[in-house]
Amino acid sequence: MYKNICVFFFIVIANWAYGQQPSRVTIKGVVKDKENVEAPFATVMLLNPKDSTLQNFTQSNDKGAFTFANVRNTDYLLKVSLISYLPLQMTIAPSAVAVNDLGVVVIKPIAKELFEVVIRTAKAPLTIRGDTIEYDATTFKVPPGSSVEDLLRRLPGIEVDLAGNLKTQGKDVKRVYVDGKTFFGNDPTGATKNLDANAVAKVQVFDEKSEQSKLTGVDDGVKEKAMNLELKEEFKKGSFGKITAAGGSNEEGIGRWAGRGNFNRFDKTTQLSFIAYGNNINETGVNWEDYSEFKGQSTFDEYDNGDFGFSSGRGRYYYQSDEGAPISYFDGRGFTKNYGAGANFNFDNKKTKFNVSYFYKNNHQNYDEFDYKETFVGDSSFMNHDTTAYSDLRQNHTLAARIEQNIDSNNVIIAKANIRYGTISTNSLSNDFYAVNTNEILNNLLTNNSSDKTSWKLTSALIYRHKFKTKGRSFAISAAYNKNPGNNDDDLYSNNRFFVPTYAEEIHRKAAQGVDKQQIKSSLLYTEPLTKKFFMELFYNFNTSDNKVNRQIADGLHGDIRIDSLSVYYTNTVMINRLGTDFRYSFNGLNIMVGIAGQYLQMNGKYSMDKNMPWITDPINKTYWSMSPKVSFSYEFPNNMYLDFEYGYELTEPSFEYLQPIPNVDNPLYQTKGNINLKPERTHSVNFSYNYYNQASFSNVGFNVDYNYCPNSISYNKNMIWTDSVGIVTELFPENNSKSNNINSWFWAGYPIVKTKFTNNWSLGFYYDNGGAYVNNVFNKTNQYQYYINTSFNITPGQKLVIALSGKATLNDDRLSLQPDRNQFEQKYTSGLSVKWQFAKKTFFEGNFDYEFYRNSAYNYVKNIPILNASVRQIIGKKNHFEIRLAAFDILNKRQYIQQYSSSNYYFRSTAETLARYFMLSFSYNIKGYETKIKKNRGWD
Amino acid sequence: MKKQIILLVVAMMAWALPNKTFSQQTEGTVRYLTTYDWVKMINSCDYLSKDRKDKIAYMWGNRSEWKMFNNLYFSLQKSKYENSEEKAEPDEEGYNGRKETFFITRNFAANTYFNALEMFGKVYLVSDSLKAPDWKILNDMKEVAGHVCMNASFTDTLMHQKIIAWFALDIPIPAGPDRFFGLPGLILEVNINNGAKIMTADKIDFKTLTTEFDMPKKLKGKQMNTLAYLTYIKKFLDEKRKAEEYPWGLQY
Repeated sequence: MYKNICVFFFIVIANWAYGQQPSRVTIKGVVKDKENVEAPFATVMLLNPKDSTLQNFTQSNDKGAFTFANVRNTDYLLKVSLISYLPLQMTIAPSAVAVNDLGVVVIKPIAKELFEVVIRTAKAPLTIRGDTIEYDATTFKVPPGSSVEDLLRRLPGIEVDLAGNLKTQGKDVKRVYVDGKTFFGNDPTGATKNLDANAVAKVQVFDEKSEQSKLTGVDDGVKEKAMNLELKEEFKKGSFGKITAAGGSNEEGIGRWAGRGNFNRFDKTTQLSFIAYGNNINETGVNWEDYSEFKGQSTFDEYDNGDFGFSSGRGRYYYQSDEGAPISYFDGRGFTKNYGAGANFNFDNKKTKFNVSYFYKNNHQNYDEFDYKETFVGDSSFMNHDTTAYSDLRQNHTLAARIEQNIDSNNVIIAKANIRYGTISTNSLSNDFYAVNTNEILNNLLTNNSSDKTSWKLTSALIYRHKFKTKGRSFAISAAYNKNPGNNDDDLYSNNRFFVPTYAEEIHRKAAQGVDKQQIKSSLLYTEPLTKKFFMELFYNFNTSDNKVNRQIADGLHGDIRIDSLSVYYTNTVMINRLGTDFRYSFNGLNIMVGIAGQYLQMNGKYSMDKNMPWITDPINKTYWSMSPKVSFSYEFPNNMYLDFEYGYELTEPSFEYLQPIPNVDNPLYQTKGNINLKPERTHSVNFSYNYYNQASFSNVGFNVDYNYCPNSISYNKNMIWTDSVGIVTELFPENNSKSNNINSWFWAGYPIVKTKFTNNWSLGFYYDNGGAYVNNVFNKTNQYQYYINTSFNITPGQKLVIALSGKATLNDDRLSLQPDRNQFEQKYTSGLSVKWQFAKKTFFEGNFDYEFYRNSAYNYVKNIPILNASVRQIIGKKNHFEIRLAAFDILNKRQYIQQYSSSNYYFRSTAETLARYFMLSFSYNIKGYETKIKKNRGWD
Repeated sequence: MKKQIILLVVAMMAWALPNKTFSQQTEGTVRYLTTYDWVKMINSCDYLSKDRKDKIAYMWGNRSEWKMFNNLYFSLQKSKYENSEEKAEPDEEGYNGRKETFFITRNFAANTYFNALEMFGKVYLVSDSLKAPDWKILNDMKEVAGHVCMNASFTDTLMHQKIIAWFALDIPIPAGPDRFFGLPGLILEVNINNGAKIMTADKIDFKTLTTEFDMPKKLKGKQMNTLAYLTYIKKFLDEKRKAEEYPWGLQY
């Protein structure tokens, strides 16, 4: 009863007080420490007690006093914080009076050693929960392999005795938990002695009810010290992979199969991956997406440029190591069988990047090809009708390694090497009819050639870069060694039959060729900042290459006797010394470079019939000296517009192939002679480009123009003459023939018709090339024009449907002065429609229809090729691990290889059969599970 | 042992010193090292597919950082934050990109702000009254650039960002880097989305400022208030969400 009365009074008083509470209030107090000394400049905050959000703050004055004037009179959480003190928290109820004087607020210091060692030395955040303090143990470094006990010895506030017993704040730690669970029974040292220190993220020490009170449920007030070790979450560790097996056939029952799989394992610093594939459906390798996943973080390490200075006209050569990358490439002819497998390892810890990879590839291709060629000579022409049965087997092993070591922030070293071993064996059987004008057959050349080639290739490079203390001053040096030895055995058989009069000429030659190429390169670069915006560069390039070729030809019809006139052994060396300088201005989006380089080039070639035989002609000794200027300009406009301009002038030496004094007559119908008097080609090149993109409107536009002018370009003159018992023999002889110009320009634009739903892209191109050469002493001027226009629409009405529509027209207009009535006009039109449709929760339809139309009015040649593919796939399993797919390829059974072009004084067309209609069922398993969404985006964002 | 004693004495002196010579410094500059981790940025984008995020993390995980310097000028009344001319990334190629218009100024006395932000080639001049976020104050402490700081955090619902700030207990200035302010002490570190962007003070100079707060003489752009600016941002974000693309290029 008494109690009830008390409650009653309390309510009355509370109500009275409430009614009288002011709406705004002044809260004040004085911050003092335990020794009753005023604490000046403490941060004092009023928080919302519900969610700790900041409502108001102030600072105590030099006497420790603080005031919040005129604040809302409500519940607050008062927080007082001062360096080296535990933050103090107290709740404040609404005040009954206008000034709520809290009196003295006492703050407790943080244990000095904890504060000094954790905050100041280890720079670790301290988390304070009431009286317990937690900090990130990972900031205390221990050697790898250390136990938790070793770690604890370093932590402030914790004592570890010889036996491994733990003490904190003078009390024994009775229990050790790991992630909140008991570990190895009740012995606290069980966890600390056995766990790896590097597995621990946090160490928490707290008070726990005694074992006694836990058992009885009666709190005896005795608190025991306990410790919890929170383990690191290894967020960057895992594996993924996929495996697919597919089988099917066409209606003739020819089996089609494909298999592929990949597996990747990774953690924070390493990536290990395996990939393998095999098929007979013309996938000669893997796609870019799979390849980049295989190479992981080393994908973009392939392109280390060691050729310093502005480019030297022969293109900037990069030390590329992905040569022979197993990226699928199929030329469209015939049928292939393909196998490949590889492994890749990456290590990357920001200081060191290391990569090693191995790949094996095996491709077998065979096809039957039908060629038609018309060659224009004088005012007449002759035709070739050629049928070829071809097969090859290519195998190669590639081992590549690269290391990039950042010694410190100013020094970096890159070393890389790539070794490749390859074999190629080919066989081709061809039947070639020569005819004059229309179908007047002159002769029939039957050839049966086979070849076996083995080669080794080593490419290696070393690059060192150093930055000086002066900002912008740097130095770099590179060295490279490449070696490429190989052997070739060719068996060349031909039977040349003539009809008027009737006779046949049989040739059987066996060629054994040994090649050894070697290249040594080195470059130096020094960059000096002249001002903040001006830089000067000095560079030096050295490049020497040695080629040794020994080609011995034996007559297979006459006891394999060497044919002296065709056998040749030659060595040639090219040595380049190039010294250059350039000045750069770079500031605020404007980058200008003006440079000049002087190059001294020495060529040396020697020719004999065989190794250790006397030289049969005077050696070629040529030296060329040239100066090449270079100008480049690029400007970034404020509205995402970019403008680039470049001009360069280069001298390109004639290749040994052009100079070679010994005629090459491997093919009796083609005889190539060299020309020792050739002059280097002089080329002016200009590039201009413009780019604009707008992320806000999702649109872009740009164009690019390349123009090259060469007043003395080298081309082959041709003499085509009827030779009895041989046929029409083409003699080729290179000369500095003519001016040549070429322009390559293209334009593109993309914009949304309806943002994010309907976009339209355009690209237009124009190419022009002119040149010429003498054909039977008449100059044949050639003008080639190419135009193309391409447009596409992407339609994504919702999340479940993606439609793409495209159309392209390509026109080739090739004109030759020799026979203007034989000008060629080739047309190719393609259009396509593709649909991706998710028509049930985990079921997808994918289909595309492409239509190709070829036409050449000069020959009344017209060809239509419609291609229709369709597939349905279903994702199965709770976690979407499985996929089953039924696909039909080329449903209309129309696929075919077609190529046509004109060049110099001929028109050429080639057709070949290839993989047409077939059906396939595939099963796939994905470790991570398949995504049950249509992929909308490609690329890297 | 001797070494330890010396260390202890030094530690005690260091302990005692700040209390004795505690003086309030309220004007100067802070240089922040800003680190972007674009894998983490993409990872914090809720509408991108897990497959894509996983692949980007796998391909670029250890090479995804990009660093720059920013400067903050502060006094009791004002602050100005801008990009520094100093480069934090080694630039071997020597290419120099265009300097974007960017500054964030605050007038704490008048409770206003004025920002010049460049997005997609256009300059936006945003000004309005200041409104501090609802900072949550937790009991974490750590040292940044020699100053003991306390932890404060909030969640930005527009950009889906978890923001953790560390403010100095001994610099009673409500300023901070980028758009962050409104704490009892100068903000010396901000961590957005678990490291997607981190701004850390690496140099603090207390000095009397002269022309640092001056505005550029020529300044053209579209004028906006807070509401118009946030509407613009939201519209862009919604479009990018539909297109399933990361909203690169936003100044927020």
